[in-house]
Amino acid sequence: MIEAKVRVQVGEFRLFAELQGAGVICLAGKNGTGKTTLLRAIAGFLPIAEGFVRVEGADITSKSVEERDVVLVTPSTCFPHLGVDSHVTWGARSKGLRPQKEYVLKVKSELGINYGGTVGSLSRGMRQRVALATALLSSPGVILVDEAFLGLNDREAFVSMYGKLAKEAGVDVIFSSQDETDGKLADYLYVLNNGLATPRQRETNL
Amino acid sequence: MNWLRLISIASLLLLLVPILTLLYYGLGPFRDAAGFSAQVLRSIELTLFSSALAVVVDFILFTPLAYYLARGNDRITESLVDIPVSVPHPIIGVALLILDSPVTPTGRFLLSLHINFYNTMLGLVTALVIMSAPIYVKSMEPYFESKDPSPEEFAMGMGASRLKTLYSVVLPNSYDGLSSASLISMSRALSEFGSISIIAFYVLQFPFYGVSPASVTIYEFFSGNMSGGLNAAVSASAAMILVAIPITLAGHVVRRRTGR
Repeated sequence: MIEAKVRVQVGEFRLFAELQGAGVICLAGKNGTGKTTLLRAIAGFLPIAEGFVRVEGADITSKSVEERDVVLVTPSTCFPHLGVDSHVTWGARSKGLRPQKEYVLKVKSELGINYGGTVGSLSRGMRQRVALATALLSSPGVILVDEAFLGLNDREAFVSMYGKLAKEAGVDVIFSSQDETDGKLADYLYVLNNGLATPRQRETNL
Repeated sequence: MNWLRLISIASLLLLLVPILTLLYYGLGPFRDAAGFSAQVLRSIELTLFSSALAVVVDFILFTPLAYYLARGNDRITESLVDIPVSVPHPIIGVALLILDSPVTPTGRFLLSLHINFYNTMLGLVTALVIMSAPIYVKSMEPYFESKDPSPEEFAMGMGASRLKTLYSVVLPNSYDGLSSASLISMSRALSEFGSISIIAFYVLQFPFYGVSPASVTIYEFFSGNMSGGLNAAVSASAAMILVAIPITLAGHVVRRRTGR
């Protein structure tokens, strides 16, 4: 369960958003409505002027990025120098976790990662899959996906599978989208408009 | 006619005239065997070796600082980095001398640890590090700034510290920037004279026992302390330029290739 009630100011832009939910949350809004700002505030990259962020009831508002256990994935998120297998377990190893080989293979298989080589040599869509698998295998509290689902050829099936795997691992996922209809892929839909988040639909079917 | 190009080429020639003059006279009319003697070649060898060592130290000690400045917002630290190169360079030599002098507490302490800067390789490299590190930092900082921070933020979200992120994520993808910054700061170290002429006029250690850095040797020819005089100074300068130019050019070629 993630709960956030934040007021953030970036230059002239002001954001006030309140959201809560568990499982998969879709954050929809057109360009410039504050989706990335909200995700970056939750991840700890932007200071929160007022409010809080809680994950499973624990207040992480004043924690540093490294301590929040919240991973931000964007379309350009990857470590190009690593091989695929080394990449997907990087976050887990960094935390001192040792994910079971069978589980790693399952995640790779379910997310369509059936290639090797260095990540830098892969297509953009393939890199995004690897980055998303890496985030999932690092077992964070929350994964924030900032438009990193865009550009995947089987996007709807992928998001559904990713949500299923995340739920199995007890990880909440918030993903941003410019398309409000993406709410059907999530348990919760919030629409951002001029820096204000409004719940549109709750507990949709995944 | 492209006047901007014409003016640019003219101003560039103005900068290059002293170098071209030295090359012409050093390799032509003023050519003197003393300027290419084994002693001069040893000097150049010492300069190359100590400059390369200084760059290795720059990389180890100052890469984290460059990254900190690029990703932080610490303007005070940023301006302090420039101080060593903004003062007359002999001051750095004098400062090292005082720091390690037996008449000062710091000197007595360092000497008790057998740390001696005066006419040693350690002193020479320390002076070169102080003079080249600001160039290295100022070259790496914009490079780091230009890199997409998303992978770093991704790593930190998975619990990695800034330092671990630097070594595990940023540096393995920064060979171009590191090569460029290293070559440019090595060029700076090769050209140093002011500080090293005070702290390490020559090195009294194996394998360079009694050898002076190239810039000091050239000065010694010029001042008449070494036989050969002006002709030898000009020839030795030409030899040093021939060694330094490829390193400087390589640094800038790599820099252009990295789009900075």
